[in-house]
Amino acid sequence: MTTVIQRFRRAFGRAAPQAPVAPERARAAASADAVRNLDLTPSDPLLGYLQRTPGVIDFQNLRLASPMVERLRAEGVRLAVPLLSQGALIGLLTLGPRRSEQDYTSDDHTLLGNLASQAAPALRVAQLVRQQQLEARERERIAQELRVARLIQQTLLPRSVPDVAGWGITPYYEPAREVGGDFYDFIELGDGQLGLVIADVTDKGVPAALVMAMARSILRAAAGRLDSPGAVLERTNEVLYPDMPPNMFVTCLYAILDTHSGRLRFANAGHDLPYWHHAGGVSELYARGMPLGLMPGMDYEESEIVLAPGDHVLFYSDGLVEAHNAEREMFSFDRLEALVGAHADGGQPLVDMLLGELASFTGSGWVQEDDITLVALGREAASGNEPRSYPATQTVDEHSSDTWQTLAELEIPSLPDNERLAMEQVGAIACDLGLAPLRLERLKTAVAETTMNAMEHGNGYRADQPVRISVRRSETALAVRVYDYGAGGEIAADEPDLDAKLAGLQTARGWGLHLVRHMVDEVQMGSEDGMHMVELIIQL
Amino acid sequence: MTSATLSITARPVRTNASVLDIRGDITASAEPALMGAYADAVARGAQTIVLNFAGMEYMNSSGIGLLVTLLIRANRAKQRLLACGLSAHYRQILDLTRLSDAIAIYDDEADALRAV
Repeated sequence: MTTVIQRFRRAFGRAAPQAPVAPERARAAASADAVRNLDLTPSDPLLGYLQRTPGVIDFQNLRLASPMVERLRAEGVRLAVPLLSQGALIGLLTLGPRRSEQDYTSDDHTLLGNLASQAAPALRVAQLVRQQQLEARERERIAQELRVARLIQQTLLPRSVPDVAGWGITPYYEPAREVGGDFYDFIELGDGQLGLVIADVTDKGVPAALVMAMARSILRAAAGRLDSPGAVLERTNEVLYPDMPPNMFVTCLYAILDTHSGRLRFANAGHDLPYWHHAGGVSELYARGMPLGLMPGMDYEESEIVLAPGDHVLFYSDGLVEAHNAEREMFSFDRLEALVGAHADGGQPLVDMLLGELASFTGSGWVQEDDITLVALGREAASGNEPRSYPATQTVDEHSSDTWQTLAELEIPSLPDNERLAMEQVGAIACDLGLAPLRLERLKTAVAETTMNAMEHGNGYRADQPVRISVRRSETALAVRVYDYGAGGEIAADEPDLDAKLAGLQTARGWGLHLVRHMVDEVQMGSEDGMHMVELIIQL
Repeated sequence: MTSATLSITARPVRTNASVLDIRGDITASAEPALMGAYADAVARGAQTIVLNFAGMEYMNSSGIGLLVTLLIRANRAKQRLLACGLSAHYRQILDLTRLSDAIAIYDDEADALRAV
């Protein structure tokens, strides 16, 4: 008697056992693959028939439009009996033609039925044992992968934090159980310049760790050769893109800190916006850019601020803001921004405070969903004369005895329409200071007009002569200084008069300075370090 | 870079009046669009032209210069210029430049059309 146990791997049910240990009494000449996996599609009517019909099935008389029946019949199957365990079909015992070439008797049917009812539980046990072995092996494989991913990640994170006089840098990194792709890096660029990186690779585990290793190396190489954060990200994207696995990308913020002046230049490849705590409150550090590795030919906007003594910046990854509590609420950007704004301390106290807030938000029993990475950068409060790199802050203020604090220093290329850049950036700062909407609009117009004058008359729209702008505040006022390379000779223009213009006695243009004078509370002009300067002052 | 998208279209509202719908920025580079839409309105017989600033995002002093040029042309051709949809800020600027003496300003288009 040729005994064939054929098992069905059904399309549903993930724990399909493999290669069972089967009672095999086939002759040596019988096919060696007597025990096989046969895929029985859920739509095959044989499946329903087997589940409905326990007992021996005579294939010769079976009328069923089933591809599997056709196939088994073609292989010479005469009788079959389903192997059922607790109502579930786990296999099929089939018999070919009797060797005596006579038909099977009713005794044979009975014997086969008995055999099936005893074989089924044994086969089921074998399947379960096999399944457990496979699951244990899979768990071990995953655990091993987690160890590898964590090892790669920990190897690549900086072992120490740069020690820079006057600055505090406090990183915090806590991987999730299923390690994500967060990383941060510090790159010493010499001459008091320090590169800071915070990044997040999509995906988790070993694939994310490998991409992280690749991105980190490419970025380090680019940072060593290129001076501009935007160019570094652009170069990193170009090199990374061809080798990037599909559906993966890296969000990354790269900043260069001038530790002497406090100037922080940064570019952002789609990473969460850092928060800057300054005397006027808290601001997002915005720069436009696509994540790395998504498409070639990307360019990255570059922005900059100046960190005044006492200011701090928090770089972070989405593991913090996207942490959920039991009610499935997110920790959220708004909450983080408010917390950074409300705490004057940076560094370790800031990190400790945020982790405390996170713990009380998520409550006990929380399972960390994603890596949490924080890098707190803080400039120590002034303890004397700070070295300054820009003329804007070298001068002693002659308007009042108030202390003036620099909020931002901008450099605007002298190109048509760029006055809008100046206007938006200064506007954002003034808006954060709570300037009333109409006064804010007036300040923005004054900044736009002054910048336009500087680009046109002062710098002649020469690309290598940018307009420099400093934004400072005192207790009571905001001061915006606009510097250009001209001599300031445009000031002598006639006071514009509409009637004179309509009569053709003046050009239609020439409104700029007139507007500026009426938009802000005070306008001062002068020169400083060989540059022409216009200062706009508006009371807060 | 801010790439200001500007569109100015002339929309006849009466046989002798058109509204110029301004969307975007009125700066020096708006000159062709503004003068083109104005010529379009005049070609369709407009004697009164309503400048609808409701969709304007930004206007600088060059833009004000353009309005002066437009006003000079309209005065010569004995056409009326009206304005509507200005924000409080730009309304102040038109007051400051005294353009509001020569261009009647209305809150919205419906108000302006009642005056046509």
